Amino acid sequence: MAAVYKSISKQKSSAPNGKEETDNKPKNKQRVLILTSRGVTYRHRHLLGDLNALLPHSRKDAKLDTKTQLHQLNELADLYNCNNVMFFEARKGKDLYIWLSKPPNGPTVKMHCQNIHTMEELNFTGNCLKGSRPILSFDAAFDKQAHTKVIKELLTHTFGVPASSRKVKPFVDHVMGFTMADGKIWIRCYQIAETEASKNGKAENEENTQEPSIVAPKSGKGETNVSLVEIGPRFVLTPIVILEGSFGGPVIYENKEFVSPNQIRSDLRKSKAGRYNKRADGIMERKAKKSDLGLRTGATHEVDELDDRVLFA
Amino acid sequence: MAKDQGLRALLKKQKGVDFKKEHQKKLQKQAEKRKRSQKPTDKEIEAEGSGLEEDSEANDSGEDVKDVAKEEVAAKLAELKEKMNGQASGWETDESEDAEEDDEDEDDGGIDIEGIDSDSESESDEEDGAGAEDDDEEEEEEDIPLSDIESLASDERGDIIPHQRLTINNTAALLRSLKAFALPASLPFSAAQAVTSDAPTEIKDVEDDLTRELAFYKQSLEAVKEGRIRLNKEGMPFTRPTDYFAEMVKSEEQMGKVRAKMVDAAARKKASADARRQRDLKKFGKAVQVAKLQERDKAKRDTLDKINVLKRKREGGAGLTTNEEDMFDVALDDAADGEKAARRFKDGRGGPEGGKGAKRQKKDAKFGFGGKKRFSKSNDAKSSGDVSGFSVKKMKGKGKSQRPGKSRRAAGK
Repeated sequence: MAAVYKSISKQKSSAPNGKEETDNKPKNKQRVLILTSRGVTYRHRHLLGDLNALLPHSRKDAKLDTKTQLHQLNELADLYNCNNVMFFEARKGKDLYIWLSKPPNGPTVKMHCQNIHTMEELNFTGNCLKGSRPILSFDAAFDKQAHTKVIKELLTHTFGVPASSRKVKPFVDHVMGFTMADGKIWIRCYQIAETEASKNGKAENEENTQEPSIVAPKSGKGETNVSLVEIGPRFVLTPIVILEGSFGGPVIYENKEFVSPNQIRSDLRKSKAGRYNKRADGIMERKAKKSDLGLRTGATHEVDELDDRVLFA
Repeated sequence: MAKDQGLRALLKKQKGVDFKKEHQKKLQKQAEKRKRSQKPTDKEIEAEGSGLEEDSEANDSGEDVKDVAKEEVAAKLAELKEKMNGQASGWETDESEDAEEDDEDEDDGGIDIEGIDSDSESESDEEDGAGAEDDDEEEEEEDIPLSDIESLASDERGDIIPHQRLTINNTAALLRSLKAFALPASLPFSAAQAVTSDAPTEIKDVEDDLTRELAFYKQSLEAVKEGRIRLNKEGMPFTRPTDYFAEMVKSEEQMGKVRAKMVDAAARKKASADARRQRDLKKFGKAVQVAKLQERDKAKRDTLDKINVLKRKREGGAGLTTNEEDMFDVALDDAADGEKAARRFKDGRGGPEGGKGAKRQKKDAKFGFGGKKRFSKSNDAKSSGDVSGFSVKKMKGKGKSQRPGKSRRAAGK
């Protein structure tokens, strides 16, 4: 009897608000493990700190000792109950590679990070709640190719703060922009500044609490009085490679246009060396030419009989 | 090598040989050979061959399928193509292939060849199929962008070896991977709050900071507007109430720094504007001063000229009539007088009549001006004889009420 009562009451209670049903539905549950390798510069460290501040669902860990055995990160993520990993791999104390991965099954994206400006050094006036959920703004170009789709999904998981996160705050006061330009992903973070927000916002909220299903006519909302103030940080990512597994597995995408910073540096050096080599070659050539003409062997040319030295001897 | 191949291809074209068909035959043979060696993987392969997608492991499946009659292959791959919405070939290796893909849309017969073609290339990494290897090399040579090399100055080109990597883009695997980990579409908007813009953000010149940042800003602003509407629809709170205080991303210290920086910048701007104004004023004032000095000099020169003329006339005045001289004299004096008077008038001292102003006269009367100042206030016979100001009453001190005593004064306070 009790069971029957329970089931009926459950039906009754679930019917009006439909909250009960959502329990069965899949939820967006994300936790991000963020950590660096050894050998990061202060700038990389500060960027990591900024991202950690912006992402309440992130878990910062100590520097990873190795740069070769990245599969260890899977175990680390498992240890911390994280289903995302953002790993900063620093090379040569200047180049930064960011790995985004979904352990345990992948995929993994490796990206080269350039133009890093941290929140502190940018001195922007924007500010937002620590732990508020951002709106993620993606460029439409992300949906054009398969690999960008994968990257977009990874970015959504990593930077989108799930509502169930522990330290989350209930309001939306910043937006993160991801734009594809020049084969790179440009990342910006803005504060949402609403003017006259207090009046409109309250009215809106009241309407919503009364009847959430019916959309009240927006009193000038949605088209005016929103502006953005940049918060920082700024950085640019160039996708290099996508692996099928998490820090392993076959390569399913590789960016042809990416040239490693090492290559660029060595090309620069070589171009400088090329200048010297060309000059040296020129000198050698000239010498050879001279010796071919017999100017270097010291052979005396025959004295003509009309030469001054002969005539006025 | 590549050149050689290109020539061969041309020859064959002329002969009317279907290169693609030949290629396929070759691959078929290869596949048969391979199949003999790789029996165990067959089951999995067959499942995938009839299934939806090709994947990296299923390269063998592509080969496997070739064993079947050619028509069947075409049919299957056509089906595959339909399912994958035009992303028929599992591996696209190069832009040149992209171009070829367009052809696929026209005839289904082409598809299988394409698909097989690209498969074999991907495999060439592992195995050394001779034909496939050749293809690869050809491609790599195509990969080197000439424009990159030519952009360098010829002498700086020197030792640079153009570097290119092979693009791997396994669309099928990417899509499968995406499907495996993507958030379900049934989630409400508020679960991830991700907004994709309607049109791709276009930036003409990435180096142009201002337009680039503006494009980013616009994209984010659009996203915010749309996101707000959708969140409101779902009844999620959006705006932070003004009385909600919590820890912010940037600390108060950091914000103070930002503010100080802004104030600093504003102050510097103002100071520089002030300095500029001052400089301009100074420049202008100097011009005025110079003009004034010049004017004064000119006036002085004129007077001196006049005096000189006069002197000359006085000295050599024998020939002149007195009448004329008088006339000149008067005129000169008048001129001099007029000038002096004018100057006095301009200075504001004294009236035009040359006398004293009313105020001065008054002051002179009061304090005395001119004449002897000594003993002017001491008595003389007349003043001492004058007793008009004397009053007995005053002398006796009864006219006034007397000052009260100290105690009474203190009490009155």
